[in-house]
Amino acid sequence: MDIIAGLIQTAFLAGGVLALAALGEVLAERVGVVNLGVEGLMALGAVTGIAVVVATTTPWLGFLAALAVGLAVGMVFAFATVIIRANQVLSGLALTLIGTGMAATVGKAYSGTPAPAIFRPLDIPILSDLPFFGRAFFQHNILVYVIFLIVPLFLHWLMFRTRHGLNMRAVGENPAAADAAGLNVMAYRFWYTAIGAAMAAGSGAYLTLAFVPSWSEGVVAGRGWIAVALVIFAGFRPINAAGAALLFGFVTALGFVGQARNWPIAAPILSMLPYLGTIALIILPVIAWQRMRRMMAAPAALSTPYFRDTR
Amino acid sequence: MRLKLQRLHSAPPWKAFAARVLSVLLALAVTALMMAMAGIDPIDLAAQVLSATFGSSFGLEDLGLLFSPLLFTGLAVAVGLRIGAWNIGAEGQFNIGALCAAGIALFVPGPDWALLPAMIAAGALGGALWILVPTLARAYADVSELITTLLLNFVALLLVYYVATGPWLDPSGRALATTARLPVRLPEVWGIVHWGLPIALGLAVVLAVIFSVTRWGYEVRMAGSNAGSARYAGMPVRRHLIAVMLLSGALAGLGGVMEVAGTVGRLQGGISNNYGYLGIMVAVLARAAPLGVIASAFLMAVILNGGIVMQTQGLTTNTVLAMTGLILLFAAIGDELAHYRLRRLEGRN
Repeated sequence: MDIIAGLIQTAFLAGGVLALAALGEVLAERVGVVNLGVEGLMALGAVTGIAVVVATTTPWLGFLAALAVGLAVGMVFAFATVIIRANQVLSGLALTLIGTGMAATVGKAYSGTPAPAIFRPLDIPILSDLPFFGRAFFQHNILVYVIFLIVPLFLHWLMFRTRHGLNMRAVGENPAAADAAGLNVMAYRFWYTAIGAAMAAGSGAYLTLAFVPSWSEGVVAGRGWIAVALVIFAGFRPINAAGAALLFGFVTALGFVGQARNWPIAAPILSMLPYLGTIALIILPVIAWQRMRRMMAAPAALSTPYFRDTR
Repeated sequence: MRLKLQRLHSAPPWKAFAARVLSVLLALAVTALMMAMAGIDPIDLAAQVLSATFGSSFGLEDLGLLFSPLLFTGLAVAVGLRIGAWNIGAEGQFNIGALCAAGIALFVPGPDWALLPAMIAAGALGGALWILVPTLARAYADVSELITTLLLNFVALLLVYYVATGPWLDPSGRALATTARLPVRLPEVWGIVHWGLPIALGLAVVLAVIFSVTRWGYEVRMAGSNAGSARYAGMPVRRHLIAVMLLSGALAGLGGVMEVAGTVGRLQGGISNNYGYLGIMVAVLARAAPLGVIASAFLMAVILNGGIVMQTQGLTTNTVLAMTGLILLFAAIGDELAHYRLRRLEGRN
């Protein structure tokens, strides 16, 4: 029982990285912008987080600084893809290369140093003393509650229960109609892309300030790409995205247990699991449930720039 | 008289070319500015890079060694783009190509003249197999090849790392994390530059001919620009897509063969050295034209060789990666801006 409680605990901790990045990508994709720069944004956020915490020893400042860097870089990306309407795939790949390269260049000074202060687990009074459930659900750092509870529920409410959310989705499905209805398509796309980018960078800071917690080159290790894939698997829904991230956290946790318990599988092979799992998760459902396709479909105008005069 | 900004359906070629040249210059300028802010003299550094690269035959030979893998990965990505497929898994296919070639060299006995072709065949086949699942998923289930090809890079890197440090580790115990030296080497053509370079250049020419004069090349281009009308015209779009993606994987795999059999001589983790990712930029700058790949891969090789000089200044090859990203971002923006033209409107309207 203790192992399972520990597994769930690690699943939340590891899944948090993917969840925050995936939730940000849900926002961008719902308004019609594919951001393939998540991997680079996470690297930038990760190095910003560690640099600020080394200077200030305050994890919150590191996290906020990463959000700010992500927002700024996201605005550059949104300028290119939404205002100029440059190819989104190309711009996203460029952002991944820029972010990964810059983070590694800046981060060389911090390589291998553990974060001097991290987001520590908080025990929720009474509940954390429960057998099994206490360890699995109520002994996490505060970001885990924010990422798995507050953000997904808020985004779900925003997107599916408010007028503003309806507008958001309209912009992603049919920007010409949204424009005709008087919505500012460019503003919706610009800001939600930038906010999504900020969340991606925030998840990078979560990685170096709560999960690993230290910086090294390649610390992001494809998690940005897994997050992008999870959004597809989650059918572009925030609560599903958080759930999918948790599932992935569980796969990662299983790998840890395998290494700790000396399963007769080499560590590099165990490390392949999340990548292979992601590939399976985005291919198999399409084949298995043809009928679910429409319900889980991508926004119709995804990755299509909007030109007002050609509508 | 008034001016009006008009968007053309497709960018005129000279504008697209100018946009690419500008994007490279702009990216270099931004990088120089950032270096200057970090206290490094960019002009001095550029002079060092150029003299280290072109000032001696050693520099030129090093350049040749970087040129060849970039040609292979650049061609791999470019071929995919021809039909509208993004192979960002060239990094992984490159690794698998190297793995297969090393496997043949290490464990199959035989004379060199038989082993080398076998290694080349195995590497190309391995690269093609590595992209098989993303290819079928794209062709039959419409799953985007972007993420599937990319995720397999991590699997390939881990696999090579595992093999080179585990079951295939150098039994002599002298090497820490590599296999033994391969008993077969690709012969050199000039200094330390091996046959990988002429083979890559030859492939670029062959591909250019295929895409410009054959019916197959024409159909692939049609399927890439408008799959719907190509299908309506009776072209086997799906079959072309599968063939092109497998060819793309095979080309990247070949790059891995040349790297392990020519340049490195043994299989080790990280043998791909980001060539697969840099190949994306090479292909995009060349607008997916095989002959253009020769020019852009050469440019990339010079930049990459500069990265080696930069290491003496406390920068890493990752700085080069960031700069590549900048070029790509500016190219994406320039591509779109090249669609516009200013039109004079006479009188009132």
